[in-house]
Amino acid sequence: MSTLEELKQLIHKTFGIDTAALKADAPLEDYGLDSLSLAELLFAIEEHFDVDLPDSRSGVNTLAGLAALIDDLRTPKAA
Amino acid sequence: MRRRVVVTGIGLVSPHGDSPGAVFDALMEGRSAVARWSAGGAPPALAARAPFEAARWFTRLQLAGVDRVSQIAVAAAESARADAGLDALDERSGIYVGTGMGGASAIDEAFARHAESGRVPPLTVPAFMPNAPAAHIAMRAKVHGPVLTYSIACASSAVAIAEAAKAIAAGEVECALAGGSEALLVPGAVRAWQALQTLAAPDWEDASQACRPFALDRSGLVLGEGAAFLLLEPFDAAKARGARVYAELAGSGVSCDATHLTKPDVAGQVRALFSALRAGGLSPADVGYCNAHGTATRAGDVVECEALAQVWGDDIGGLAVSSTKSMHGHLLGAAGALEAAITVLALERRAIPPNMHCASQDPACRVPLVREPQTRAPRLGAAISNSFAFGGTNAVLAFRRCD
Repeated sequence: MSTLEELKQLIHKTFGIDTAALKADAPLEDYGLDSLSLAELLFAIEEHFDVDLPDSRSGVNTLAGLAALIDDLRTPKAA
Repeated sequence: MRRRVVVTGIGLVSPHGDSPGAVFDALMEGRSAVARWSAGGAPPALAARAPFEAARWFTRLQLAGVDRVSQIAVAAAESARADAGLDALDERSGIYVGTGMGGASAIDEAFARHAESGRVPPLTVPAFMPNAPAAHIAMRAKVHGPVLTYSIACASSAVAIAEAAKAIAAGEVECALAGGSEALLVPGAVRAWQALQTLAAPDWEDASQACRPFALDRSGLVLGEGAAFLLLEPFDAAKARGARVYAELAGSGVSCDATHLTKPDVAGQVRALFSALRAGGLSPADVGYCNAHGTATRAGDVVECEALAQVWGDDIGGLAVSSTKSMHGHLLGAAGALEAAITVLALERRAIPPNMHCASQDPACRVPLVREPQTRAPRLGAAISNSFAFGGTNAVLAFRRCD
């Protein structure tokens, strides 16, 4: 499963939003996420993908952006 | 001029369900909601859990950071508003909520995760803050007036109701949702209560009979869970809009023992009882029913009976007493509100719910207990509800029929 698909499943599991309604490039507010539910989502992402999201996620406001960020964080860095 | 205050709506999420009429029927039948409880590795306990379907009131997204204590508070408050036939509240309305502990589930989970992984959920603080239930009710009902929280242990919601009524009587608000919510049936909190050695000895054979107020063989309280709200408004406003009036909140009395943190005191309770009667313009002989605090602790029940005996004197024979905690357990911060609702329904129906599981009444508890289910009280005109808290605060609410 792609990271984007996995992310959609996680949002569905966390908030009960139908995965079919989730679009890769729509702003997260479009799904009714406010600052509090977004904080909960980011926590769930960290738990699920075992990553530490950086405090500044400037510009990342879509599922595609989040998926790219997760992929980036999960890629082993060359020494 | 002081305005008369009446109850026009009742909303419940209680161990006996969420329909006020059905809850009262169950209590009249003497049905106990106390059962065996266990979770999360805590030793098994007895408790009266409130059945609740969050999905009826919230989407999953809306539940982010909303503790169970706030969920059931919103449901009960919204039900009270709907029961009163009011579509909307406004900036001239207020919300007065009692809770003892706040968001116990959020605290329990945060502390467990702190110990396990150090990763604590980000919405823990807004979930457990004690004023969260009031804030969630305000957002749901769009109330822009005073939105206040009272944390006075077992007197929390009785005081909240008393304060709401005073604000309406004084003309500060035109309408109030007043009540309480408690949801602390989580492993850490139940363990803390077990450690305090005040819980009823578990009888696994028949858990439902474990809470035995005023009985010789009583052994302590049983924890309960739930939320209860009253819609309060001025008598004149209720009449003008043709609302159904359950009863008048005639008066209230609040005092503090200021003697001991957990041990109750006769003198302090007597002061609260007298003060409620005086505020309500009632004499002891006018009051036909007392929904007792009656937690079924060894010390507490005796003190309450002594206080009632001192205030009622020769009129004590006309005061029917019962502790409905025998059936719904002790809802702590929500107890005063649930029992106020039961008292109001007792007045409306002229029927007195029984004090169950008291086969042999303790001779040290000399009050006229109603021990039989389905007891009618055709001349019942006024009733009180007692709430006496850890910390020494005593609150008494006095209600009168509006005939």
